[in-house]
Amino acid sequence: MSQILPIATTRQTRAWLRAELRGRRGEVAGTLLAGIAAAAAAILPVYALGVLVDRVRSGAGTSAIVSISIVIGAAALIGGVAIGLSKYLIGRLGSRMLADLRESTVATALRLPALVLDRAGRGDLLSRVGADIAAIGKAVAHVLPNVISALLLAVLSLAAMTGIDWRLGLAGAVAVPFYVIALRWYLPLSAPRYADERQAVAERSQLLVESMQGLRTVHAYRLERRHLDDIDRASAKARDIDVGVFTLFTRFVGRINRAEFFGLAALLTVGFLLVRDGSVSVGQASAAALLFHRLFNPVSMLLYTFDEIQAAGASLARLVGVETVPVERREAARRPADASLSLDDVSFSYDGRTPVLRGLSIRLEPGERVALVGSTGAGKTTVASIAAGILDPGEGTARVDGVPVRELPAGTVAIISQETHVFAGPLVEDLRLARPGASRPEVEAALDAVGALNWARELPDGLDTAVGDGGHDLTPAQAQQLALARLVLLDPAVAVLDEATAEAGSAGARALEQSAAAATRGRTVLIVAHRLTQAASADRVIVMEHGVVVESGPHAELVAAGGRYAQLWSAWESRSSTPA
Amino acid sequence: MSRSGARILLRSTTRNARRLWTGTALIAVHQICETFVPIMIGVIIDRAVTPGDLGRLLLWIGVLAVQFTLLTTAYRFGARRLMAAIAEEGHQLRLEVSAKILHPRGVRTDLRAGDLLTVSTSDADNTSYLLDYIPRIVGAIVATVVSAVALFLISVPLGLVVLIATPIVLVLLQISSPVITRRVADQQEQAGRATSLATDLVTGLRPLRGLGAQDAAAERYREVSRRSLRATLRAARTQGAYLAASTTLSTLLACGIAIMAGWFALTGRITVGQLIAVIGLAQFLIEPFGTLAVAPSWIGEARASADRVALIADAGLVLPEGVATPAEHPCDLRLSGVRHGPLDGLDLHVLPGEFVGVVARRSGDAEALVRLLSVPADYQGSVLLGGSPLEQVERAHARRLLLVEPHHADLFTGTIAANVAVHAGDEILTDVLSAAAADEVLATQADGLDTVVAERGASLSGGQRQRIALARALLARPPVLVLHDPTTAVDAVTEHAIAQGIRALRHGPESGFATVVITSSPALLAATDRVVVLGDGVVAAEGGHEALGASDETYRQLVLR
Repeated sequence: MSQILPIATTRQTRAWLRAELRGRRGEVAGTLLAGIAAAAAAILPVYALGVLVDRVRSGAGTSAIVSISIVIGAAALIGGVAIGLSKYLIGRLGSRMLADLRESTVATALRLPALVLDRAGRGDLLSRVGADIAAIGKAVAHVLPNVISALLLAVLSLAAMTGIDWRLGLAGAVAVPFYVIALRWYLPLSAPRYADERQAVAERSQLLVESMQGLRTVHAYRLERRHLDDIDRASAKARDIDVGVFTLFTRFVGRINRAEFFGLAALLTVGFLLVRDGSVSVGQASAAALLFHRLFNPVSMLLYTFDEIQAAGASLARLVGVETVPVERREAARRPADASLSLDDVSFSYDGRTPVLRGLSIRLEPGERVALVGSTGAGKTTVASIAAGILDPGEGTARVDGVPVRELPAGTVAIISQETHVFAGPLVEDLRLARPGASRPEVEAALDAVGALNWARELPDGLDTAVGDGGHDLTPAQAQQLALARLVLLDPAVAVLDEATAEAGSAGARALEQSAAAATRGRTVLIVAHRLTQAASADRVIVMEHGVVVESGPHAELVAAGGRYAQLWSAWESRSSTPA
Repeated sequence: MSRSGARILLRSTTRNARRLWTGTALIAVHQICETFVPIMIGVIIDRAVTPGDLGRLLLWIGVLAVQFTLLTTAYRFGARRLMAAIAEEGHQLRLEVSAKILHPRGVRTDLRAGDLLTVSTSDADNTSYLLDYIPRIVGAIVATVVSAVALFLISVPLGLVVLIATPIVLVLLQISSPVITRRVADQQEQAGRATSLATDLVTGLRPLRGLGAQDAAAERYREVSRRSLRATLRAARTQGAYLAASTTLSTLLACGIAIMAGWFALTGRITVGQLIAVIGLAQFLIEPFGTLAVAPSWIGEARASADRVALIADAGLVLPEGVATPAEHPCDLRLSGVRHGPLDGLDLHVLPGEFVGVVARRSGDAEALVRLLSVPADYQGSVLLGGSPLEQVERAHARRLLLVEPHHADLFTGTIAANVAVHAGDEILTDVLSAAAADEVLATQADGLDTVVAERGASLSGGQRQRIALARALLARPPVLVLHDPTTAVDAVTEHAIAQGIRALRHGPESGFATVVITSSPALLAATDRVVVLGDGVVAAEGGHEALGASDETYRQLVLR
């Protein structure tokens, strides 16, 4: 976790926002127009009531009510429609922008270079495509429309007061600095506390998750008391931070109340003075005071949700940041004529200092099955990753029929690594990731090829059973068979298997080896083998030590030669032999 | 079930009574002050602005200042008191539920781990929010009463119209709320789906990249994202329409009242200040009425969560209270005629000092055996630990004598040392680490034993997790140890070393420890004293690994590698 993915600067985020808004000029203009109409329609009745007050004072007849009734009735009708329309339009604009952003972020995330991701850790990226997108989505749906409406209403109300008399507008604006001071006092104090709160809640959840998912282990080791004490401690900490944050919030509310009082008092006093010198009527002064009172709720809502807006802004910067990472792109594809795989003079180092591979060259003939053998740390997995184009070698090139792997058409080389993942959703959709639009018979044939069709059909809903996270649990061996079935569907000319059978139980390993053999039939295959039975059945064995090839040849020859491989083989045979 | 939810809610109020009711009283004071703001505006216009009396203006501004001080102070202290009660109640409920879930005798529930987590987090919180709803509802009632009194004092017909028409309008608006709830729920569900798809794809990024399937994955996300967008827009349309209707209705109501009050003022029945107060109050009343309109749904939510909390809190326990304390040395394990799930009359006797391998032809048999030994419930026949029926042995004692290490090795956040040495005492730590081949794992970790394991051991590979878990089991030194497929993610060479390690550590001369290893690994089986083969829920064959391998073709196939 030495590095994290970049976070966009304020300038980059603003540039993104501007570009997005510019690309939707018409929509933005329509949205603004509806918002302004809604705010104006909300202000007009209050103004009309001021006029009514004056007519009452001047002793007008009851007919004076008619024109005012018409005005405020019409304003109510128009205002209602306008406010509904404006909130919808704001939500629509925000949601559309967010949908575009999240799609391009996920697309970028999926194409991040392996090294960037390994260094940053997956947690950071996961929280961006998960929590950050969700946070902005919530803000756009629930906070943004209210905030924009409140802002428009506040600005237009102040404008209306100024319209009555500029000194009234000034008096109303007295509240503004108080609001700003309250906000500038609250935000810097609350931000770290909210961060602490999130942290404490995350710790608490983590303890609860671990205790509940690891319940059997908790019980087996009599750890109930210890886990409960830990939960108690974490939950109490979260509780205390919650109360602390809220105490701060109540002080913020106090400051907002203060701003409301000073604004209202200033308006009434200025109104009083202006009425006394005849600049405005009593009705106008009343209208200004009522307008101001009406702002109490929307403005405090605006201020209370300000930190959510800030948090959404921070999430936005993290999403825009992902897009600044240069991604892997396949060059213009050249189709190789045959399926020979070669690594020429390849060197590689993860940290730039310790060499993992040193001038390594290997060549696999089309259709050849080669096992890569060697002790842990010999560099086998690195060779596999380079052959599959997941890692770029520091020096040298990996090629298929002379075409560098980076320039191959998609699906020419595939690798199945130690890490299996069952994609959440129907089983058939998991497989279709390898070949979008594959027909059901094609999927079934692929499952059949790796010997998985029988158990797949016996799942509760057959091939439509939801598997993966939150779905039906598959065994590690079944997950590996799925990975192999995906390979069959993809149908690459060259396949690399990196310990693809390591995770299964001993009994499952044999079955998996058969599946792997079936899945790779007719392809050029490079197998990173821990189990030497895999090596024994390969056309050729390559033995690696410390980043270089030390032996290469068919199994029988190498055993007979009595070198490093012969040593490994005799150790393997004596240690795992079954009496027969 | 519903009664128990109500009982939980009632208890929430009684055990926080002091904070709840003082807090509620203060919130009521706050609401009264809020109600008086529009009245005060009217009064100041009437008494000070209209006559142009500076002295009165200063006097009434002073009164307004006092009112705001009271308003804000009452809120501050009331809300803090309530918040303390809510946070404490949520904490207590969470602990109660967690204690029940972790109870050594096992809680009887059908809920899965994910649901249990929801109960202990959001349901505990939602239940405690009752303490937030009560003061809001009380405050809304108080504000309504005060406004009503003020309106009646100004004009009886006006008061009647406001108090009758406003609830009618609010009830009308409630009619559409199920549609909104449904649309919003749909929107949240679709958004949730998009989020989990994104995290799922990123989690499986390596396999995706291995197939070059990133484009297909991105396209799949795009489809779900667009569906989520459509749901969001549908919800926004419904909410917009509702907002338009509700704003129009409530504004028309407020305008109607204002026009009526204006007519009264024009005919001299009320003063200008009273007119302003009526307009302000009519506007203000929408809020408390709105609170009262949604209050039933709040209570309903709290009640539903309380029901789920009660489901755990009131659930029975799986195992009886054990009292037997059989001797620790020597301790044997004897299963006779055991029927449990697929087990169909299993006899198995593990003597002190024995290292027994168990090979199951059906994996279900092995799982049932492990489940039974961890939670000895719902079975026929007898399972004796040191001569006492297992379920009647005192739980802590039983688990000290018989340790069943589950196949899925759960590690917990903390250092490797904390994971291995769960109970103090590490004089044999070095031996244990090498027996489990966990010393090799430590050699690859930057800080050795002090390396921090990420949540659920995610920072370690499957094989590394297994070896750490095995070291933990060996260090606990139970008289009887049951291991289930302990080395499936470990390579053959290491597996062989582990088999020898277990043998050396637990089965030296005079050790008296018994070990049962359920596996099909020849390396482990070769190290055992004898092997028991389970077929169709009973013992199908028994003997030494070598002898079975020589004579039994099915055995050879089961353990062949």
